[in-house]
Amino acid sequence: MAAAPKTNEPAQPAEEQVSRRSLLAWLSGAGVVGSLMAGIFSTFVFLKPRATYGEPSRFRIGRPEDFPPGARIAIDTKRVCIVREGAKVAAISTTCTHLGCIVAPSETGFLCPCHGSHFDVDGNVTGGPAPKALSWYQISLTPNGELEVDKDNEIQTGTYLNV
Amino acid sequence: MSNDTNSIWKTLVDLPANVWKSIFRNPLPTSDRGRAATSFTNFFLHIQPVRVSRHALRPTYTLGLGLISFFLFVILTVTGILLMFYYVPSSTQAYDRMLDLRSSVAFGVILRNMHRWAAHAMVATVFLHMCRVFFTGAYKAPREFNWNIGVALFLLTLFASFTGYLLPWDQLAFWAITVGTSIAGYAPLVGKELRFLLLGDANVGQEALLRFYVLHVVVLPAALSLLVAVHFWRIRKDGGLARPEPVEQVLQPPQSPAAVEPLPEPVASLAVDAAPVRRFTIQGLVRGPFVKVGKLEDDTVFSWPTLLIAELFVLLLTIAGVLAVSWFFNAPLEQPVNVMHPPNPAKAPWYFLGLQEQVSYSAFWGGIGIPGIELILLLLVPYFDRGKQGVGRWFARQRILANSVFLLFVIVNIVLILIGTFFRGANWQFVSPF
Repeated sequence: MAAAPKTNEPAQPAEEQVSRRSLLAWLSGAGVVGSLMAGIFSTFVFLKPRATYGEPSRFRIGRPEDFPPGARIAIDTKRVCIVREGAKVAAISTTCTHLGCIVAPSETGFLCPCHGSHFDVDGNVTGGPAPKALSWYQISLTPNGELEVDKDNEIQTGTYLNV
Repeated sequence: MSNDTNSIWKTLVDLPANVWKSIFRNPLPTSDRGRAATSFTNFFLHIQPVRVSRHALRPTYTLGLGLISFFLFVILTVTGILLMFYYVPSSTQAYDRMLDLRSSVAFGVILRNMHRWAAHAMVATVFLHMCRVFFTGAYKAPREFNWNIGVALFLLTLFASFTGYLLPWDQLAFWAITVGTSIAGYAPLVGKELRFLLLGDANVGQEALLRFYVLHVVVLPAALSLLVAVHFWRIRKDGGLARPEPVEQVLQPPQSPAAVEPLPEPVASLAVDAAPVRRFTIQGLVRGPFVKVGKLEDDTVFSWPTLLIAELFVLLLTIAGVLAVSWFFNAPLEQPVNVMHPPNPAKAPWYFLGLQEQVSYSAFWGGIGIPGIELILLLLVPYFDRGKQGVGRWFARQRILANSVFLLFVIVNIVLILIGTFFRGANWQFVSPF
């Protein structure tokens, strides 16, 4: 067999070196691996909730009169502190930017009980491990005169609403 | 007719013996062959080798730490399944169920205590087992991958303990998990997503409780069981517990004149290295010292009964220890969750307090960066440390560098945990416990 003259068989092009068997094996393998990846990906899609059952991020907190000028009232259930200076109102997050503990209003601003981060009255970091300032949230007046905080909308520090 | 009656009678008389023999194929062994067969034909015993080296049996070598970890896992599985009968993973009911364990469930308190203390103990023994394996150089080739499985088991143990920490739904649980999961949020790119996936919500709440419950009672125990099985299987396939290479015995040329007589030519040419009569055992395919020909029986004993008695002793000691601690100390239960009042300071579970201490300096480096580097080093160390010296002995002189580095790593982590546990007060200020 080995001594058979080669001249009768033309040299095969490189593409045809791939046999049908190995091509099918590759395709099957790719199919199995692909299905596995798709399965893992779908599992994570499933595990990520589309709707959550927790606190809504937009909520009303009462009328402007409830917050007298100079007030700094923390609403811990909503994790927000309502600050009023004269006719200006703002909502500052009380979720520590470090590890998510609830900061408490103090004489100098805010203080985190967990790792000792300090913030000034505007929520800027003045000490401790917190990496960034406390967020300010959009606050608006509803048509019936109530204040509404929207935690999905972060605004620039120092932006007040006039009431 | 009388013949039939006799045969029925004989069948009945022999019934107990026949049932017994159908279950246990060997009578209690009196010979070496019987001892081997006992290990070999019993499903639960065949996990172990028929013979085991004396070195592996020395309590001062292993300290029994791996076995204790496994038995703690068994205790946790049993007590955990029992507690599941009375627990509801609901943010409105979970805490009440904790109180019910005290007031209206028979053995409720002792079961919860056992589960709690065994969980803490398992975190400790798994870590100590890792230290033992390192300081005896037992992670070296061919055991590199089993070391990595061990690292994975350590992480799974931490995660299983962490997910269980939330379930009582008291202040301690809630804030420890709040702090602990926030650390995950610092991972680059995927951190926030990961935290959301884990909690099922923006904050710790009902969704997180349900998710942690499912992870704690199904996902993590299943993963742990699977990896424990692989871990055990590989111990045998990698040649049993690591032990020192036997001192090279120069094979003496046969002394007696009778043995010196020349062998027939073809046989002599096969006998390379002048090997003595080859005696292969069941472990003939196993790598490592077991394949050593000729000196097989020198330092081994039969598993039945020597190894089994040793294991039974460790099991009883473990159960006795857990029971004693659970008898005298109650598992903590603080006030029910109050999302508005974090305790001050809010502390993670003790095994994460080193992490929390690091995080108080830098959230990213303390929480993700340094632990990540430590983990990668742990996984890679058997592939970097290729020396064959000093295996199977504690603190071998040849391994002084590797052991010193690892000891430093252990001490730093323990000191960080001690600082986080005892020296941090309100606002994470430094306080003295004395």
